Amino acid sequence: MARFVFERAIRGAITVFVSLAATFAIIRLMPSNPAQLLVDPLLGPEAVQAMAERLGLSDPIWIQFGKYIMELARGDFGFSFRTGQPVGPTLFSKLGWTLLLLIFVQGVSVGLGVPVGMMAAIKQNRLFDKASNTAVILGVSVFVPFLAFALLYLFSYKLKLFPTGGAFTPPMKHGIAFALDVAWHAVLPTMALAAGNTASIVLYTRNSTIDILKEDYIRTAYAKGWHQGYIMRRHALKNTMIPTTTVISLNIGNMMGGAIMTETVFSWPGVGRLIYDSVSKQDYPMLQGAFLVLSITVVCLSVITDLAIMAMDPRITH
Amino acid sequence: MDSIMEVVNLHKQFEIKTGLLTKAKINAVDGVSFNLVAGETLGVVGESGSGKSTLGRTILKLTNADSGKVIYKGEDLVPLTSKQMKRHRSQLQMIFQDPYASLNPRLKVGTSISEPMLANNPSLGRDEAKRSAIELLELVGLSPQMYNLYPHEFSGGQRQRISIARAIAPKPSIIVCDEAVSALDVSVQAQMLNLFNELKEKLSLTYIFIGHDLSVIKYISDRILVMYLGQVVELAPTDAIFGSKMHPYTQALVSAVPEPNATKRQSKRIILEGDIPSPGSVPKGCQFASRCFMKMKMCMEAAPNLTEVEEGHLVRCHHHARLKKAAQDVPNG
Amino acid sequence: MSELLVFSNYSMGFKENNKVVNLIDNVSFAVSKLAAVGIVGESGCGKSMVSLSAMRLLPANAIIQGGEILLNGEDLLAKSENQMQELRGKQISIIFQQPMSSLNPVLDIGFQMQEALTRHFPGTSKTEADETIALELRGVGIHDPAKTMRAYPHQLSGGMCQRVMIAMATICKPSLLIADEPTTALDTTIQAQVLDLMAQLKQKGSILLVTHNLGVVAEICDVVVVMYAGQVVETGKIEDIFKNPQHPYTQGLLASVPTLTTKKSRLHTIQGSVPAIWDFAKGCRFHTRCAMAKSLCENEKPESCQAGSPGHIVACHVYGGYI
Repeated sequence: MARFVFERAIRGAITVFVSLAATFAIIRLMPSNPAQLLVDPLLGPEAVQAMAERLGLSDPIWIQFGKYIMELARGDFGFSFRTGQPVGPTLFSKLGWTLLLLIFVQGVSVGLGVPVGMMAAIKQNRLFDKASNTAVILGVSVFVPFLAFALLYLFSYKLKLFPTGGAFTPPMKHGIAFALDVAWHAVLPTMALAAGNTASIVLYTRNSTIDILKEDYIRTAYAKGWHQGYIMRRHALKNTMIPTTTVISLNIGNMMGGAIMTETVFSWPGVGRLIYDSVSKQDYPMLQGAFLVLSITVVCLSVITDLAIMAMDPRITH
Repeated sequence: MDSIMEVVNLHKQFEIKTGLLTKAKINAVDGVSFNLVAGETLGVVGESGSGKSTLGRTILKLTNADSGKVIYKGEDLVPLTSKQMKRHRSQLQMIFQDPYASLNPRLKVGTSISEPMLANNPSLGRDEAKRSAIELLELVGLSPQMYNLYPHEFSGGQRQRISIARAIAPKPSIIVCDEAVSALDVSVQAQMLNLFNELKEKLSLTYIFIGHDLSVIKYISDRILVMYLGQVVELAPTDAIFGSKMHPYTQALVSAVPEPNATKRQSKRIILEGDIPSPGSVPKGCQFASRCFMKMKMCMEAAPNLTEVEEGHLVRCHHHARLKKAAQDVPNG
Repeated sequence: MSELLVFSNYSMGFKENNKVVNLIDNVSFAVSKLAAVGIVGESGCGKSMVSLSAMRLLPANAIIQGGEILLNGEDLLAKSENQMQELRGKQISIIFQQPMSSLNPVLDIGFQMQEALTRHFPGTSKTEADETIALELRGVGIHDPAKTMRAYPHQLSGGMCQRVMIAMATICKPSLLIADEPTTALDTTIQAQVLDLMAQLKQKGSILLVTHNLGVVAEICDVVVVMYAGQVVETGKIEDIFKNPQHPYTQGLLASVPTLTTKKSRLHTIQGSVPAIWDFAKGCRFHTRCAMAKSLCENEKPESCQAGSPGHIVACHVYGGYI
């Protein structure tokens, strides 16, 4: 067990490092110079050059990368080009909001997707199944930013049921009032992100449940005199969740992409929104830090997923 | 009695993963030796994990042996490369339990039979190959019109006939039949057993007939080889094996066969205790000792050798001198 | 009344593409209290569907076409699903051919045993349940019940799984145990162990044993029901069927199985092969393979008639004397 976690940690570290190097290079391949954005054009090219040197952008890319790694090793994420503030604290305050949204989205998509998928399997080829299949096709094919705008337009501009953006209404409240306020703000971004997630979970749960319902042990459970509800809960659910958990973990990776657009549309103060802002401002350290934090999050979640599957499936030995 | 093939001290190990990085070796075939007499049917009987299927596959070089010899026509097959093996391939054929899995579902069965003939002998010509394929179909009891049908249009028994036709097409001398009748219905199984016997006479074949059903093996075989955990525990002419001096395992096996008749058994059936040990964790000493009803201290300590208890009858048991005729309800011959 | 389970003119089939194909055709037989009845037949003869019918656990596309299945005089076909759930596991239990896959791979044996008990005895305390389970496991020859209860199915051998299945099926002391090919997937020596166990169970309740293996039937059963293509062709006591078979199919079947006593001559065979459900013949379904078939056999289903000793029933025109 400890050995498994150790092995996965090593593999995870390699994954994070590779993604770090790749994003580091890709960011610097963007066809413009951040120094230019930060210097008044009237000051001329020398000032731009001086700024580039001050930011460390005139060094060759591997030197920059080396320096960055050294700084990271000391726990230093560098300073934002845009605000001059240290990247670390900003990043972690934003990460909290993104993780919160992620929990909402996964909570909704698992909480809704698994029961709907299992129900569709039970009612295979009947009305419920057909309706859910149609919804699944819509869910997986809808373009997330489009859905985000549509939700925003319908529920906040037209129906005025939900706020147009942000994570809470200032001034900040305390305790339960604050939690409710945040939840209220999170409804639309969660819906926008959860649609595709839920759809894929419904799809996988339905298919794996259909297979499981054909298994001999389900027949054994009926032969003991149990009813369908119990059998679905105690015998089918755990077996269904094993493949579905893998899908959830894949979904989380994909969701990070959707989060950039959704957080921007709903002004959700998370890492996604931060990435959007930093791309337009060419804020290299901030972008770099955001991608790093996201890749670490995804790797951690995939280890947690594997541990969860191991806990559920006694056939996996380690 | 001419020997057509000689198997000498054949070994085959498999590695199984026991953990993330740990592996265990299991002896699937553990020092098997025997002579195959031309024209005989050698029955190989054993339970799961006995290595009987691996033995068949290793003899035909469908898997490579780790050590030992398989001497066929004066040549050891074990060190041959697959290219060198080609010249023997058509002589050594195999028939499997599941005929559906061994037939290409997209090929007409006629083509399945005639293609390999053409590949072996291109000078034959398409029409000639088709004619011989049709002859073969008739030989195994199918009608010539079936040449143009696909495997899924046949019943299980008919499919097994097709795979037999395909196996005898290159005029082999030895056919290894691995559980060839096990998946068939009782009434169809009898037809196939008769067919095997007929073809053996007509085409002077030699069979290695691998199975788990002792009644079937006894019916079809001239000699029987009993395997347990990769080793030969007994090898004897069929009549001798059911006659006297049985290995305790064979006694238990014979006694375990439920017989379809209304006479209640006279002697108490031998019920072995426990399960067949997993081949990965074989006890030291005699491999059968953990379940043996005759075991003594020495059985747990030293492994017995195969000993000739009477002419042509080998038994691997410390107590070979004390062995007697098995339970009375086992008839002689 | 000594009859526990009675199939009376029971017919069922499957719905395929809006058409109903008949499988089981007017099957009648009875299982007496404390008796073991064997249903023998080849693949596709409907023997497994007979066992699932008694549990009312048929596949979704199955259609019951008529007849009655009486348990203690009550028609199971008239019961609601809820009423059936009360009976399953308590009055009638079933074990299957594949013991390994019949147990849930992600739940331990202890839980799967316990839920079989608490379904019908919900008040059972944890300690009481554990004691009962340990007792039952010992009863089927498992010497270390505590260890087995903690184990998952993949950690047990096929023979052990089948023992667990038997313990599970009998934990509520049902009056009828249905065993559908219980030893087919097991090795010969393990099969002997399980058959030995089943012979002991006969003293506690009735057994309906479904198998293709005539030897297994001879070993366990008192009465044999021979099925061919969904029809019962012959029923009788073990001695009647094995010593004095009357139906050409039973005769052919018995003659075509090699046994340890079979001489090394040509085996008797039944020509042709077992028909699939959509190829069932009209009239006597066996006539296409029967050496004695006459034109009457092609058109008319033979009536069952008594053959010699009481309880020996055969459905054949040749025997019935119509030809």
